[in-house]
Amino acid sequence: MSLATLIAGVVQVAGGVLGAPAIVGLIQHLKARLQGRRGPPVLQPYRELRRLWGKSGVAPEPHTLIYTLAPAVAVASTALVLLLLPIGGHAPDWGLGNDALVLVGLLALARFAMTLAAWDTAGAFGLMGAARDLMFSVFVEGLLLLVLVLLALPLHSTDLLSVSHAATLPEVWARPAHWAAALAFCLVIVAETGRQPVDNPDTHLELTMVHEGPLLEYAGRELAYLQWSAAARHWIMLVLACELLIPHPGPFVAQLAVLGGGVLALSVALAVCETVQAKMRVLRVPLLLGSGAALCLLGLASWFAGGGG
Amino acid sequence: MGTPGALVLAGVLAIAAGALSAGLSRSPRAGLMAQSVGMVLLALAGVWVLASGHAVGAGFRSDVRPAFGLDGLSGFFLLVIAVVGAPATLFARDALEADWQGRSLAVATGAFLLALVGFVCARDVSTFLGFWELMTLVPAAAILLARQDREARHGVFVYLAITHIGGSGVWVAMLVLAQHGALGGHPLGGGLAAFVACASLVGFSTKAGLMPLHSWLPRAHPLAPAHISALMSGVMIKLALYGLVRVLFQWLAPPGLWVGITLMAVGALSCVGGVLYALMQHELKRLLAFHSIENVGIVALGLGASLVFRDIGQPMWSAIAFAAALLHALNHALFKGLLFLGAGAFSKAVGGLELDRLGGLLRRMPWTGATFALGAMAIAGLPPLNGFASEWLTLQSLLHLGVASHLGVALAGALATAALAGTAALAVYCFVKVIGLVLLGLPRRSECAEASEVPVGMRASMVFLAGSCVALGVLPGLLVPTLAALGPGRVRLHEGAGLNVPGTGSLPTLALALALVLLVSALVRLARSRRAAPAPTWTCGQPPATGLAWTSAGFTKPLRLVLEALLRPQREVRVISSLGVVESVTYQAEVPHLFDTLLYGPVSRGALRAAGIARSVQSGSLRAYLIYLLALLGLLLALARTGVLG
Repeated sequence: MSLATLIAGVVQVAGGVLGAPAIVGLIQHLKARLQGRRGPPVLQPYRELRRLWGKSGVAPEPHTLIYTLAPAVAVASTALVLLLLPIGGHAPDWGLGNDALVLVGLLALARFAMTLAAWDTAGAFGLMGAARDLMFSVFVEGLLLLVLVLLALPLHSTDLLSVSHAATLPEVWARPAHWAAALAFCLVIVAETGRQPVDNPDTHLELTMVHEGPLLEYAGRELAYLQWSAAARHWIMLVLACELLIPHPGPFVAQLAVLGGGVLALSVALAVCETVQAKMRVLRVPLLLGSGAALCLLGLASWFAGGGG
Repeated sequence: MGTPGALVLAGVLAIAAGALSAGLSRSPRAGLMAQSVGMVLLALAGVWVLASGHAVGAGFRSDVRPAFGLDGLSGFFLLVIAVVGAPATLFARDALEADWQGRSLAVATGAFLLALVGFVCARDVSTFLGFWELMTLVPAAAILLARQDREARHGVFVYLAITHIGGSGVWVAMLVLAQHGALGGHPLGGGLAAFVACASLVGFSTKAGLMPLHSWLPRAHPLAPAHISALMSGVMIKLALYGLVRVLFQWLAPPGLWVGITLMAVGALSCVGGVLYALMQHELKRLLAFHSIENVGIVALGLGASLVFRDIGQPMWSAIAFAAALLHALNHALFKGLLFLGAGAFSKAVGGLELDRLGGLLRRMPWTGATFALGAMAIAGLPPLNGFASEWLTLQSLLHLGVASHLGVALAGALATAALAGTAALAVYCFVKVIGLVLLGLPRRSECAEASEVPVGMRASMVFLAGSCVALGVLPGLLVPTLAALGPGRVRLHEGAGLNVPGTGSLPTLALALALVLLVSALVRLARSRRAAPAPTWTCGQPPATGLAWTSAGFTKPLRLVLEALLRPQREVRVISSLGVVESVTYQAEVPHLFDTLLYGPVSRGALRAAGIARSVQSGSLRAYLIYLLALLGLLLALARTGVLG
């Protein structure tokens, strides 16, 4: 195993497990600053995780095994996704492959587990968020697959490493298909990370929650798991954007620098976007995602109109 | 004849003997057990033929002398029949009563199984069409044996009418093929090939329940007893696809790209439409029936993609898409069989299957509940179960069609990819709803609070099917290369436990499943090292009550609102008040099945009007008929005079 692969493996695990909460902290901090508040420090999510880790859980009445398993399944499938991500165009062979559709499947498993947990406790609020989350997922998954079709065009592969190699050089921006994929993927990022205008992660009103809804009945370590997995989803989406869409030429160190800079820049972009955008009406989100899908089909047509190369 | 031939013969004899003894003895239990054993023998024969790759018995021939035989494709579908047939008969052993009705249903079950087996073993036109008809008629008889009410009679009438009108396409296609010696001879080409392709598409897709010819399916399937429903949904509609594969892949020379694209379009419509209407259903068996339409659509997507890949000259992907379709057919047989048997178990334990009147059954019926939840996860296409493996392979095929070299094909591929991805997400939505309403939360009826687990035979059959779902989810690679070799091009794929396909990042199912199980158990242990404090669920301080619980309609409301223009839901709220005091509120809402109201409605009204006109001709008066005869005679004379009649 080469040094680059080794470092990539370390970044996969350490970045995902330890670094992910910092992204959420950074966005919260920047958002507060942009709104003229001092806001929580960047490291606040870590403090919350430590606090939750020391607390005991809750056994709501009624519940079954599903309530107990759901956070673990959600975290386990998110953690496996971390191991599929390419880092600087490299990834060690964990024996899990690097397939983009496996990644989509694992994210769906996490969503399934959490929405089922909302049913298990027979609460009214969790299901409100769960129903909306599942409704979004229909359109998000369709759009994400269209983006993957566009990204698979150059090398005819859904292997994340190949897709990452195909986007190495800055010339990719000469292709309209790449632009379409990038714009559509931005919509996917916003929807999957649960950011405004799709969802408001800071809301404390149960009636407006989407991703937060099914978390309501959890406490202690299980809540810590779920907060981490929400943060890890940010890491996954931003790393995918950097590796698959932003060109990263040069040696491995330069590629790593592009990745770090890209994640930082996209976090800032999310914070700015969230400051200037109000939350959209739930029923209008599919329209937004649908326009992304139309863009992808145009991108596909442009690829073949340009002679397929 | 060899070992597999002897196994088939022994299996068929066991089923026939089982059916006879169930009819003649006082209890159907022993007879159904014999049928189950016969099914196991047939499964062995199917696996034998599939693994060895050698056909046994007669080959296909275009005459009408009855002939039977087995080749790889038949062997595979024999396996599909047997993996549902064996547990279904075992289930029926405990589910059926020892009365006249139970015994006659056991006989019908045996006859149905023999018809299914006969259809895949048929090697000439007469047996093929004969068993094709039996396969339609026997379940209709079984439904009428189980229920004689008006709704059942109407459902059976619609079932027989649509499958016979649409199914006539099969007769036309088969007779033309036989006339030109295409069965076992050279594939039929030329202009007739296009005609036969159209006829077979209409004929087989009616029986397969593909939209828009599906309307009989959600009516007929919920009416049957659970094990017959499992066989109809899991196996019977799959055998229509078997017929389609025979015609389109073996007996016809490629008539053009349009066949594959049409099959893909029909498949995409069926999978999106099927799952959307499934989400809007509030009765478990009807919901499951709509999911059969969805899954048959996914198989059709795979077969269509395979045809298109063949025609644009990519034999490897053609074989992969073919294998994906067959694998999904087997997977769907397993989990749909499991879900219908589970629905039967719930119905035996608590009575009705209205989703809003169940709840909390996981605690009362842990075996049925857990296996049902596994089946639901598998049909929702979640890793690491079998539904994910076959949907992954199908999605990969469609996605690679999306990057193919022609714009039209690529657009079709991309749209189908997005449709299947949306379908998978909708299926997750639907089965989260089903598991939540049936198994979790508070019991919404006293029967649910006091339900007890079903007998051991029923449990064993469900555990077997759930175990098969897990096994095929973890080890799909053992089957896929064999299935790909059956398809066009006879391509050899990489062997192994997982799915390692070039052009993908590979799906190492075994490693994924192990990693998931280990991580989950470690995480649960870590979280549960602290004692959890008991507390009631937070609903603003009131105790959780069933009257305030979420309903099936409520959970799907966001989607219904988003797709209002497409689904056109109707609702009616009536408030009766006097002197400003509300006395009663009635609320009624439904999502009408638009295919019925917009397509079948006008057609059947038109047919009735035409019949009305024809009836007015039949006055019943002798003089009128004499005038008709005279007019006819005159017409014939006139025609003969002008020389039209030669």
